[in-house]
Amino acid sequence: MFDLFREISQTIKNNRLRTILTGIAVAWGIFMLIVLLGAARGVVNNYENESSNSSVNSIRLWSGTTSMPYKGYKDGRWIRLRDKDMDAVSGEVDAVSEVAISTSASGFNIVGPKDYVSGGFEAVYPDEARTQRITRIEGRFINQKDIEDHRRVMVVSRDNAALLFGDAEKALGQEVKAMDLSWKVVGVYTHRWRKDSFVPYTTYKAITGGDGYVDEMTVRVEGITTDIEAEETESQVRSVLARRHEFDPADTNAVWIWNQFANFLKQGQAMVYLNLAVWIIGILTLLTGIVGVSNIMFVSVRERVHEIGIRRAIGAKPKSIIIQILAESVAITALFGYIGLVAGMALLELLKPLLEDQAGFSNPTVDIAIAVQVTLALIVAGAIAGLFPAIKATKVKPVEALRDE
Amino acid sequence: MNYALDKNVISLRDINKTYPGVVPLHVLKDISLDIRKGELVSIMGASGSGKSTLLNILGILDSYDSGSYTLDGVLIKDLSENRAAELRNRMIGFVFQSFNLINYKNALENVALPLFYQGVGRKKRNALAMEQLERMGLADRAHHLPGELSGGQKQRVAIARALVTKPSLILADEPTGALDSKTSKEVMQVFRDLNDTGMTIVIVTHDPTVGAATDRIIRIIDGRIQS
Repeated sequence: MFDLFREISQTIKNNRLRTILTGIAVAWGIFMLIVLLGAARGVVNNYENESSNSSVNSIRLWSGTTSMPYKGYKDGRWIRLRDKDMDAVSGEVDAVSEVAISTSASGFNIVGPKDYVSGGFEAVYPDEARTQRITRIEGRFINQKDIEDHRRVMVVSRDNAALLFGDAEKALGQEVKAMDLSWKVVGVYTHRWRKDSFVPYTTYKAITGGDGYVDEMTVRVEGITTDIEAEETESQVRSVLARRHEFDPADTNAVWIWNQFANFLKQGQAMVYLNLAVWIIGILTLLTGIVGVSNIMFVSVRERVHEIGIRRAIGAKPKSIIIQILAESVAITALFGYIGLVAGMALLELLKPLLEDQAGFSNPTVDIAIAVQVTLALIVAGAIAGLFPAIKATKVKPVEALRDE
Repeated sequence: MNYALDKNVISLRDINKTYPGVVPLHVLKDISLDIRKGELVSIMGASGSGKSTLLNILGILDSYDSGSYTLDGVLIKDLSENRAAELRNRMIGFVFQSFNLINYKNALENVALPLFYQGVGRKKRNALAMEQLERMGLADRAHHLPGELSGGQKQRVAIARALVTKPSLILADEPTGALDSKTSKEVMQVFRDLNDTGMTIVIVTHDPTVGAATDRIIRIIDGRIQS
């Protein structure tokens, strides 16, 4: 075995250019595949994070302006969602499991013992936590009792808690001031991008004597698996609101709807296609590398016909020639495949902090098991690529090989 | 193995060889030849006479169509590639006009290579190779690459390689063809010295001086032995 390694290292050293060319083809194939897989993983990771940070099985609605005349009304009419729409949608559309409404109250600061935050708060129902996927929470979110008793309680983001109290850990149970009233902090939540403060909708309405108009309604759906069903539910929700607010159910501008669930299903499908595309591109890149290795192996064997002739004249059996060429091709593909693998992973590591939270990438890395499998596949391919020229080399008669100068 | 009872190292009977083609070329015609153990023989002939084909058949580098060839008692006919390689390795030492050394291996490694294919361990094969290089007066050149050696030195390395497996026969194809007259004489003296130790040597040449330095000249004209 040691002799074989010596033979391989001698022939590789003696044919540096050929070895480097073969190596570059192999390393490039692996490098591209790793980078492509990493990039695709980054996009998929980002999508999954986005999905986990917002409720994907929900339909969100905002007030809009009609674009069609309807039953004597002219177009351009402002349709404002009302809190009473919540019960209607919840009661009339089968697929709807929960409805949450929210409205923004702004123009005042929330003041803590250490600092204040501007921008007001969101007046919400308990379901808001679920529809907005606010899951990492210390203390609790707004609950039904808060709604019923019109409690002055507030849930703040971790960032805001740190600002208001100097330390987020100290916020729970403490009081803040907003709208000239004291509010008790009952929850501190962590979210990737949200920083809003939340109070019970009914408390806010009682304080302001509100008119029942809301900014936003989030409808949570269940038992739906296809985007067609999701769109059907959207259409039913629109019909309920069209009847209540007297606009044409076909008028998509009257109420703005963001069907997250349909988007989720479509994007999920897109991610499957993206993954597939990346694998196809990667495998094609790898094949290019393999074809390169085969070509160079053929050329290499062609260059060495005379040497193979000498070896056979002095007693090399065809098997030992095949083993030597195969071992060379495996050694080259393994070494350079590894270089490509390490370079690809290093590039991903290098780009990771730069791409994080940008350009739709999140944690663009490749599973080490996949990387190793891909490299092993290339080594096997390298062996196969070397096998054919090796067999061809032994088909040349020694006497013909010796004539080949 | 089919051992004969004669003392011939080489025994050819009615060997014929034709190269196929649009016009088939009948290169060797009913060649019969015996070469005894310890002989120094030259095969001479003009270009295209068939002498190289005969050498290739003797060296088990090429096959023949009909007749029989016995080498040191072993019938050489219809051999598999593996068997042919094994017999070449153990029974024949080749010396070529263009030396045929592997240019990235030093003299010692070149000489030791036939032993590598016998599965001899590195230490032992290097010792045996060094023995042959010393015999050729090249011990101090053992770690030099062929490119660093003169023509005569290269040919002596090639002879050392041919001897390292202790073969029954040395086959030399125009061994002085690439050398000047002084070096040619030196190389021929090496062959003579080897022959004096009992080694059977067959030299293919078109050089009359080389032929004159051998015990017997076999002339081939148009695929037939003339003398």
